[in-house]
Amino acid sequence: MKQFLGSLLVGVLVGLAVGLFIGWEQYPVEYTNSSLEALDPYYKQQYTIMVAEGYQVDHDINTALNRLQVLGEDNLFEYVRDLTQQFISQSNVPAIPPMVALAEALGIDLGPVMDIYRVTPVPSPTPAVSQ
Amino acid sequence: MHVTNRSSSDHGISWFVLLIGVALGLGLGLLYSWEIDPVVELNTEPWQLGAQAREDYVIAIALSYAHNQDVTRAFNRLLEISPDRDVWDTVAEVACERHKRVQVTTNSDVLVMRSLEQLYRPQGASGCADGQYPTPAPVNIVPVTPTITQTPTLPPPLTKTATPPIPTTAPTVIVNPTNTPPPSGSYVLGRIDPFCNADKSGVIEVEVYNRNAEGVPGMPITVTWSGDQQDTFFTGLKPDQGVGYADFEMVPDRSYTVTIPGLISTPPPLDASVCDEAEGDGGEAVLTSYRVSFQQQIN
Repeated sequence: MKQFLGSLLVGVLVGLAVGLFIGWEQYPVEYTNSSLEALDPYYKQQYTIMVAEGYQVDHDINTALNRLQVLGEDNLFEYVRDLTQQFISQSNVPAIPPMVALAEALGIDLGPVMDIYRVTPVPSPTPAVSQ
Repeated sequence: MHVTNRSSSDHGISWFVLLIGVALGLGLGLLYSWEIDPVVELNTEPWQLGAQAREDYVIAIALSYAHNQDVTRAFNRLLEISPDRDVWDTVAEVACERHKRVQVTTNSDVLVMRSLEQLYRPQGASGCADGQYPTPAPVNIVPVTPTITQTPTLPPPLTKTATPPIPTTAPTVIVNPTNTPPPSGSYVLGRIDPFCNADKSGVIEVEVYNRNAEGVPGMPITVTWSGDQQDTFFTGLKPDQGVGYADFEMVPDRSYTVTIPGLISTPPPLDASVCDEAEGDGGEAVLTSYRVSFQQQIN
């Protein structure tokens, strides 16, 4: 009986070690049907910039919020604010204007720094009044 | 009766039981590492996204492109989502799926469809959403300048005048022919339908419609082949076929591109290839023909 239990224990330990090695190292679970929530933070940032640029195209803040919703952030407003501040501190120049515009549309006040990067609307030409 | 255990060895290890133990341990290990505590799904890359998330990501790329017009950046981003296939086909597929599945009603939806098409069409890809959401032609608003209307004056009283002599020969009025200006406006490629007909072998039938879906006569059609060879002909010269109709006969084994003035979409090449479905009366090969329609954009 002692011999039986000893053999079984050794076998289980060896098998367990091999199984864990295979499952965690050699062939770990590979997800191919993931949501945007599971994206790498870098790609999440890229996606957010693209949504902000999309907002510059359609000026539809509700649609922009819906597009960001899928990222699964607890507080989208804080997320947009933090990311915008991060881009400003990193001088990520191409990303700042659309992010500032998005933040502003969401009512987020970034302080005086926002004024620097605010996209100034181009005044539309007014027809000259003929006398 | 003495029973000998054949699976046991004399060294204190039962190999049979050990093997069972290994199998049991392996099963438990895989159960734990794959099911109970799998590798946490973090740091997912775009290519691992599911269908809906992939669509969202491609739309974001298209909108970003609509904003910055940076095709290289869009290409690199698309490559991250489709590393093993043509990225423009991926965009065309997303547009097609969306066209079939989504009720495009809001301005944002329309802009998404236009952004997707503006991304894949110039790169030569095509799909079922082609030309379904044409960009309206820009409207130029010309401010109306008020003009001063002159005060009408009374006509002068009639006076007797001498009767002029009757000319012996009528003066000849020479009217110089003038060119009819081609119809203006932006056009999009409506559809291209290839067909096989032994009576119409290798013919490009072009039809041009205005925004009221009426044929447009006098529209110059330019057909280009072999890079620099081209021919121009006009709609309306065969009125029995319709005022917006014109056709062109292709030569075998050439590739033709049909354009009209104001065309904003990129027309794909039309190949004068042998058609498999039909054969001429004398058994000669029949070339594929095409019906090509252009539609003026609705403002």
